[in-house]
Amino acid sequence: MKQGANKKKVAVYTATGCRTCEHAMVDLHYEVNPLTHWAEVVFWPYLLGSAWEDLNGEGRVDVCFFAGAVQTADDQAAAVRLRDKSQILVAVGACAAFGGLPGLANLSPAGPEPEAAPEPSPEMPPLPPLLPKVLALGSVVPVDYVVPGCPPTPPLLWAAFQAVAGLGTAPARLGYAASRLPGPVAEALAAGLLPPRGSVFAGDKAVCASCSRVKEEKLFRRVLRPYQAYEESGRCLLEQGLICQGVATREGCGGLCTAVGVPCRGCFGKPPAIVDPGAKMVAAISSTIDSSDAEEIACLAEDFVDLAGTFYRYLLPSQCLLMATPMTVGKHEDHNP
Amino acid sequence: MKTITLECLRGLEAPARVAIRRQNGRCQAYLQTTSPRPLAQLCRRRPVEELPRLVTLLSPAHHLAAALALDRLGEVTPPEMAQNMREGLRLALTYRRHLRKLYFLLLAWENPWANGDSLGSRRRSHTFPPRLMDDAWRHLSLAQEAVAILGGRFDHPVTAVAGGVSRFLKEEHYARLAVIAGACRDFALSFSDFLASQVFLWGREEGWLAAELPPLPSLTLSTPEEQFVRRDGRGQEQERFTAAALWEKVGRHQEPWTYEDFAYFREQGWQHLEPTSVDHLFAVGPLPRLNSGTPASAPAAVGEVERLCSVLGPLPRRELAAAYWALLVDLLQAAESMVELYTPEKLTGPTLRHIPAGWGREAQAVVESPAGWLFIQVRVDERGLIEDLQLLDPATANNALCCLVAQQVVAAAAAANLGWQDTKKRLELSLLPL
Repeated sequence: MKQGANKKKVAVYTATGCRTCEHAMVDLHYEVNPLTHWAEVVFWPYLLGSAWEDLNGEGRVDVCFFAGAVQTADDQAAAVRLRDKSQILVAVGACAAFGGLPGLANLSPAGPEPEAAPEPSPEMPPLPPLLPKVLALGSVVPVDYVVPGCPPTPPLLWAAFQAVAGLGTAPARLGYAASRLPGPVAEALAAGLLPPRGSVFAGDKAVCASCSRVKEEKLFRRVLRPYQAYEESGRCLLEQGLICQGVATREGCGGLCTAVGVPCRGCFGKPPAIVDPGAKMVAAISSTIDSSDAEEIACLAEDFVDLAGTFYRYLLPSQCLLMATPMTVGKHEDHNP
Repeated sequence: MKTITLECLRGLEAPARVAIRRQNGRCQAYLQTTSPRPLAQLCRRRPVEELPRLVTLLSPAHHLAAALALDRLGEVTPPEMAQNMREGLRLALTYRRHLRKLYFLLLAWENPWANGDSLGSRRRSHTFPPRLMDDAWRHLSLAQEAVAILGGRFDHPVTAVAGGVSRFLKEEHYARLAVIAGACRDFALSFSDFLASQVFLWGREEGWLAAELPPLPSLTLSTPEEQFVRRDGRGQEQERFTAAALWEKVGRHQEPWTYEDFAYFREQGWQHLEPTSVDHLFAVGPLPRLNSGTPASAPAAVGEVERLCSVLGPLPRRELAAAYWALLVDLLQAAESMVELYTPEKLTGPTLRHIPAGWGREAQAVVESPAGWLFIQVRVDERGLIEDLQLLDPATANNALCCLVAQQVVAAAAAANLGWQDTKKRLELSLLPL
């Protein structure tokens, strides 16, 4: 496609979230300016102050990048409206992709609980009601692509922009991102084709595959909480006894957190080979406990705290088998542009 | 009763809209935060050492405040190098946030995506210096890079941990940080000349930066003694109290039409949110900081304050132009401090962190974040799981100010018979620097 001709119409929106994903889009450094060469941003409230009415005269939007979790009725309405309006809907960031940190509210039996407020009077404008549960975007409307991460890393986000909104204009600097993308996605990107629907712009393996830490001996002898120990040896954090979820998390970030000595908390979601990341973590740790003594193992197990909040930190609404709301990713009928 | 809803508002961090209820020719505006931030609920029963990563959902500065609370909960003092790294991160965050806000201000004229003049009917009467917007963008990305080096990630930093930081810098980082600091300072200096001599003056003369903010009292932080200083709307000091006494002095109030709470002085009690009665409310952030007379230490920032006073008059100021100017003063202060701090001597040391022997039961911390001070108080059980978390951050502390500004702008726009689009643009411009 010739640059400047037939620009794609792009929309960007954040529901319940922190704007960091939008900042990540804005902050694609120098790469964002060329975006205007082949894309026309027609709806971006945060950056342009776009009103919902602006969408009315736009006809079809080619691609919508949707960030944030779905927590209120307004979020839900926005998701439905943007799905209806967009040929391609991309869930950007852990909140839209999996429910994210706001999804931890689902651990409370009553769901999100606003503190008691005074009764509204008729003169006051109503607030959008909270949904019973925080949801990922894919649980509300069908999603075509996913860019995970909290926030997504610039190379993967850039790859997604290029792949779905800038067909045929992929520049050479996609090499880094392509090396971390699943084969079919990278090939489609290189060929200027739309990747298979449902594609996730991240790796297929676990974070451990790209983590720079040295893995020596998978034996779990003690449970350490991150404040209790520090070892500047570059050794695998899990082997040190720290709960690190790299083993149950999709690769793509390049091990950003583990590289600076902080355990992975799974913001890229689970790799495709894993069914439930929490179960995987339990299996990974329990199978390497260095003891056959039941009492000792029981003592060790006592030291684990807040497994649900740790193993499903970003994923509770969508990837915890016991609590997930079904999602639709990559099965939208009206997909082919 | 007729309701007009203005959404979405450009540049606002929180999901928000302005609902205007019209009845009998009278307009009442409500700035509604449309989604809750139930962070205390999310954090309950989580291990307390995870707090810096959890609260970073609200802002990167919350990460630093939570780490300080952990230091106190574990009764450890971070090594000097770790303290410097955290401070270096805070400075880069300040630079990035304020430059982004000022960039948004300029985008109101020249929008690279929309090619629109979002100030509406007022056409731009002069052009930017060549490449100014590109330069601003480039220095945003440089500040971002400093955040990534010091915080471990471009956003949602992770490196501040109980008792220190999680990693040493690498050899190449020192040289890079020095380059970033120098470039950011040089750009801030040239940018300040352009903003002060043209944008602020022009905006004031044209009227769109001349509006006065409501005369709220202020509550500023005096460091290092961690005392809050309360001033009335004319800038007169009323009292000082320690951070530990915050909840004795300040309460939170909920209104049914917004998910964000309001902070108020308990002594006066909560009253209605009316521009004529504001003594029970307060404001925080760059402008109250500037008005408090907290001396800037960096020469360029001191010079900028003098320039502001020579143009607008002596402090305290309440014009919208002053609110943007306060961002510029902070930007210069941060840039010059980055140059001083980003040296191998200050960012090198033998120890990264001191390991706490265990947790106490309760701790609190207050830090000066780019948007204003933020206070965090955490209580844990015997296993170090969070039982209770109390936060007071600029989003809550300035909620009353923002709501009153929205009321004021809508009333002025109605009096001037402005259309809704122009009203919305004025709202965006007025809320952006707060």
